Amino acid sequence: MKSFFKGGYGKSSNILIYVCLIYYVLASLLAPGFFTMNNSWNILYNLLPLLVVAIGQTYVMITAGIDLSVTSIIAVCSIAGGYVMSSDTSIFSDPESIFFGILTMLLVGMVIGMVNGISVTKFGMPAFMVTLTTMMLFSGFAIWCTQSQNIYNLPEPFVNMSYSFFLGIPVPVFIGVFVLVLAYFLLNKTLFGEWIYAIGLNCEVAKISGVKVHRTLILVYMFSGFCAAVGAIFYTARLETGSPVMGQNILLDVIGAVVIGGTSLFGGKGKIIWTFFGALFMTLLDNSLNLIGLSFFLIMIVKGAVILAAAMLNTLKEKSLKTTA
Amino acid sequence: MNKTTQRILNNSTLVLFAIVLLTFSILSHHFFSFQNFFNILVQASSLAIIATGMTFVLLTAGIDLSVGSIMFLAGVISGKLVVAGFPLWMACTLVLVIGVLFGLINGAFIFKAKVIPFIVTLATFYVGRGLGLFISETRAVNLPESFLKIGSTKFFGVPAPIIVMTIVIIAGHLVLTKTIFGKHLYAVGHDEVKSRKAGIPVDGLLLKVYIICGFCAALGGLVAIAQLGAISPTFGLQSEFMAIAASVLGGTSLFGGRGSIFPGTLIGVLLIQSIQNGLVMVNADPYLYTVITGGVIFLIVLIDSIRHLQQKKLKRLGIN
Amino acid sequence: MLLELKQIQKSFGEVNVLKGVGFKLDKGELLGLVGENGAGKSTLMNILGGIFPPSSGEMRVNGKNYHPKSPNDALNEGISFIHQELNLFLNLSVAENLFISNYPRKKTMGFSFLNQKQARKKALELLSQVGLSVSPKSPVERLTAAQRQMLEIAKALSASPRIIIFDEPTTSLTRHEAQKLFQLIKKLKQEGIAMIYISHNLDDIMHLADRIAVLRDGELISSGERQNYTIPSMVKDMVGRDMDQFFPHRNTVPLKEFSLEVKNLGAGFIQNMSFSIRKQEILGFYGLVGAGRSEMARLIYGLDPMETGSIIWNGKEITSPNPVQWIKEGVAFLTENRQEEGLMTLQNLEKNIQLAALPSFTRRFNIIDYKEVKKKSKTQADATKTKYHSITDQLVSTLSGGNQQKVVLAKWLLIHPKLFILDEPTKGIDIGAKHEIYVLANSLVECGSSIMLISSEIEELLGLCDRILVVSEGQITKEFEKEEFDRSKILEAALHKAGKEEQKL
Repeated sequence: MKSFFKGGYGKSSNILIYVCLIYYVLASLLAPGFFTMNNSWNILYNLLPLLVVAIGQTYVMITAGIDLSVTSIIAVCSIAGGYVMSSDTSIFSDPESIFFGILTMLLVGMVIGMVNGISVTKFGMPAFMVTLTTMMLFSGFAIWCTQSQNIYNLPEPFVNMSYSFFLGIPVPVFIGVFVLVLAYFLLNKTLFGEWIYAIGLNCEVAKISGVKVHRTLILVYMFSGFCAAVGAIFYTARLETGSPVMGQNILLDVIGAVVIGGTSLFGGKGKIIWTFFGALFMTLLDNSLNLIGLSFFLIMIVKGAVILAAAMLNTLKEKSLKTTA
Repeated sequence: MNKTTQRILNNSTLVLFAIVLLTFSILSHHFFSFQNFFNILVQASSLAIIATGMTFVLLTAGIDLSVGSIMFLAGVISGKLVVAGFPLWMACTLVLVIGVLFGLINGAFIFKAKVIPFIVTLATFYVGRGLGLFISETRAVNLPESFLKIGSTKFFGVPAPIIVMTIVIIAGHLVLTKTIFGKHLYAVGHDEVKSRKAGIPVDGLLLKVYIICGFCAALGGLVAIAQLGAISPTFGLQSEFMAIAASVLGGTSLFGGRGSIFPGTLIGVLLIQSIQNGLVMVNADPYLYTVITGGVIFLIVLIDSIRHLQQKKLKRLGIN
Repeated sequence: MLLELKQIQKSFGEVNVLKGVGFKLDKGELLGLVGENGAGKSTLMNILGGIFPPSSGEMRVNGKNYHPKSPNDALNEGISFIHQELNLFLNLSVAENLFISNYPRKKTMGFSFLNQKQARKKALELLSQVGLSVSPKSPVERLTAAQRQMLEIAKALSASPRIIIFDEPTTSLTRHEAQKLFQLIKKLKQEGIAMIYISHNLDDIMHLADRIAVLRDGELISSGERQNYTIPSMVKDMVGRDMDQFFPHRNTVPLKEFSLEVKNLGAGFIQNMSFSIRKQEILGFYGLVGAGRSEMARLIYGLDPMETGSIIWNGKEITSPNPVQWIKEGVAFLTENRQEEGLMTLQNLEKNIQLAALPSFTRRFNIIDYKEVKKKSKTQADATKTKYHSITDQLVSTLSGGNQQKVVLAKWLLIHPKLFILDEPTKGIDIGAKHEIYVLANSLVECGSSIMLISSEIEELLGLCDRILVVSEGQITKEFEKEEFDRSKILEAALHKAGKEEQKL
C-alpha cells in the first residue's frame, strides 16, 4: 500500500529523471552539436515557455479539468501585446510601452482564464467543451483582428529580453524559475493548493467541507491563463513578432509534458516537479531530433508515440501496484 | 421558471437552429431557397458521416481526436496512389481500409493497454498527421478529374454525397436503436463496471466502436475529397472538434450513455453547416467564421448546462 | 437438500476470512444471514455466487457437487445474486434492463435485430410476477428506489432461479416499500424458491427468516430455527457480548438556551419547518426515507438554496447559509452519503481528516502549518478509534465502512463542532462501530455541543435523543419529549400522513 501512495508516484518522477539523464547522455553522443554551449541555451529557451504553460495545465488537470484554450490564449496575448508595444500602433513611447504591453498580455491571459473558470463553475459546463469552444473563439478572434497578419516592430529591449540579464541571471530564466517556484509554493504549502487537490478528488465532498469550490476553480483557470500569457511573452520576444497563430502547435507538447510527468487526467494527482521533468523530456526530444535532421512532421510522429508509450507505462505500473497491494 | 422557457431550454438546439435560419434568410435572399438547402446538405455530408462515427465513440464515454488525421492520411495515401496510376476503386477501398486500421490501433491501445481514449487518440492524431505530411511532403495533393466526378455524380437527381450520408445515418440509427450492440453501447457508456458484471463483452465493443469511428472518418474524408479535388496539408484539421461539437449540439453527452444519431447528431451537423453556409451567403469576413461558429457552440453548451443545473435543483427538491 | 455448504474456507494471502463455515438450505426456505461487517458474509455469498472459488470445502446443489467458475455458472445452476448496489442502467428502459444479457432477437435480411414485441410480452410477464406496474418502455431513471429493487428481482427471476441471494435489499427503501418487498419474498417462498437474506436490520430478519445463521470473524457462531432467537441473543452472537450499555448513559441535561433556531424553512416540497435545538441536546428526526429530512439538513447547511424562512444561530440570524460560514461557526454536517459526499476515497486518512479544518491552521498568506495539522489529525483519528495501518500511506477506500465513517467523524470533530448534524450516521455499519459512534456523540453533547440526529432506526433515536421530531412529506408533523417516547406512536406519526395520501390516490 505504501508504494501505491507515496513511493509509487514518487518513483515515477525518479524514473523520469533517469530517463532525462540517459537521454541527455545519448543525445550528446549521437546528435551532432547537441552538447554545445549554444545548444544548451537553445534547450533552455525552448524549455521555458513550454514549462510555464504546462505548469498552468497541471493545475487545471489536478482539478480534473482540462484547458485546451492555452494555445489560443497565447495567440491572443501575443497580438494584444504586439498592438500595445509595436511602434506602428502603440500609443505609448518606448519604455512604458513594454511595461503596458506585458501588463496587457498578463491581464488578457487571466481574463480569458476567468471566462473559462466562470463557465465551468457558475454554469456547470464541462471543461472540455468550454475550453474547446473558447479555443475556437479566441484563435478565430486573433486571426480576425489581425486579418492573419503578423505585428512587427516591437521595441528593442523587449525582443532583446532573451539575452538580457537580471542579477546575473538571464531574464527568461529568472521569470521561468519565478513561475516554477510560485506554482510549487502555492500547490504544496498553501490552503489554495490543498483545495485544488480536494476538488480534483471529489468536488462534492470539498464543497460540503467548506472548500470555496467556485473561487478556487476560477483562480485555477486564471492561473492557467496567466501561465499561458507568460509563455506568450517568451514566444513573442523570441520571434520578435506578435502572431495570431502563435502557439498553435504546442498543445500536444503541453498535454504531453503533463501526462508524461504522471499527472492524472482524472484529477487529484499531480506535481509541479513531475511536470518539470515531463517538459524537459519533451524539449530534449524535440531538440535532439531536430539536430539529427528529422523534419518537423517526423518529430510529430515520434512525440505522439512517446506520449502513448509513457501513458502505457503509467497504466501498467498502476495495474501492477494494484495487484501487489 | 414557467413552462415556455422550460420548453425553449429543452429544445435549445432546435430553437437556435430556427433563429440561425431566420437570421440568414432575412440577411440574404439566396439563403432561403431549395437549391441552397440542397447545397447545405451536400456540404454537410462529410461532417455528418464523421460525426456519426464520433457519436458512437462519445456514447461509450470515449473520445476520438484522431479523426481529422485519419481523413488526411487516408486521403493522402489514396491520392498519391491514384496520381501514380492505380485504379480509382482500389484507392477508395484502401482509404476505408486505412480508416479501419487506424480505428483498430486506437481501439487496441484503449482496451488492451487501458490507456484513456483522450491520450491515445491525441497521440495518434499527431502520428497520423505527421505520417500524412511525410507522405505528401507537406505539399497539396492534386487529384485527377475522376475523383471529382464521384463527388458530382447524381442518382435520380440526388448527388452521391447526400446518398452516402443518408445510408450512413440510417445504418447508424438502426444499429443504435434496433440491435443488441446498440443497447450494449448505451450500457457501457453509462457504467462500464456494471456492464462487465452484466456479461457485456466490453472490450470487443470498444474495439468495434473505434473501428466504426475510423471507418466513418475515412469515408467522410473521401466524400470531402471528392468535392474538393485536392488535399491540402491542412485538410481535416479541427474536423474532430467539429464532429464532437455536432454530436454534443445534437444532445449527445460527453460523459457517455446519452444521445442519438437521428435526429440528434444530424441536427447538430445541419446547424453548424447552415451557419457556415449562411456566412458565405451574407459575404461575411471569412476570418469571422470560426469566431461565430465557436460562439454559437459555446452558447448552446451554455444553455444546455444551465438546463442541467435547473433540472438537478428541481430533482433534488422533489419537484418534477 | 437443495443447497449444502460444508467446511468452506477462504483465505486472501495470509488472512483467513472464512474458517470452515457450512449451512443447509431447503426448497422454499429463507435463511437469515447476520453478522458484523467483516464477519465473512459477503465472502461466503461471493463464493456461492461464483465470483471467486473457496480455498477448501464442499458445495452441493441438489446433491451434486457445485464448483462455479463465474457468476454465469451460478446462474446456470439456478443461483441468482441480488447485490446491494443494483446493477441497473438508468439510461435504458425497463425492458432493455431486463434483457441486457439475453435480449430476444429476430433475423431480418440477414441482420440480427431486437425483437421488441417479444421482449415486451416477456417483460410484462416478469413485471406482473413481482407486482410492478410500469411500462416496459419507461426509462429506469424515472423509477423510484423501490421500483428499481423490484425490477432487479424481476431480472433475477428471468433466469428462473431456485435460490436467490439478497444482500441488504432494504437500505434504500421506505418502510412501506420494504413491506411490499416482503410480501413478494413470501410469495416467492410459496413458489418453492429458497432464499438467503443478508441484513443489518434484525427486525426484518426476525420477520422473514425460517432459520438464522450468525457469523462472526469468519466462523459460524450459531444457527437454527428462528424461534430459538431473539434480537438481543442475535446481537450477543454477532458482537460476542451483551447488548447492555449499547446506548451510553448521559450525565448532563439540555440547557435552557438555544443554539440553533429554524423558522418557517421552506423550498420545494419542504414547507414551513420550524424547530429549535438547545445546547447540550440531541434532537432526533424520524421519518420515512424521502420524507424530507436530508433535504431539510441540506437547506440549513446551504447546499441547496432556501426559498422561505430564517435560521438563527446563537441569537444571530444567518441570512445566506453556506458550508464555509457554518464551519467557521462550528457547525458540522455528516451527510447520508459517505462515499459520494463524505470522503475523498482515493486520498489518505490524514488529508481527509484535515480538509474541513484547514482554514484554521493557516498562517500568513494562507500558508498551512503542516506540523500542527498533522499532529491534530492523528489525535482525532485515534480519538474516534479508527483502525488503520498508516495515516499518511493508506487510502480511505481500503478501510471498512465503519472505519470510513469514523474518518468522516474525525474530520468534523477537528473543527470542534458546537452543533453536529448527523444524517444516518450508522447506515450500513456493523454493531461494534455503531456503539463507538454513539459513545462519541454522547460525549460530544456532554462537553456542551448539540446534535441533530437524522435516523431511520427508531431504536437509535429512542436510545440517544432528548426529543424526537417526526417529519412527513416535507413537514414536521409531531414532537415527542423524552418522557413521551413510544415506539409505536412515533412510527404511527411518521406513517400517518403518507397513509392518508395513499388513500386519496
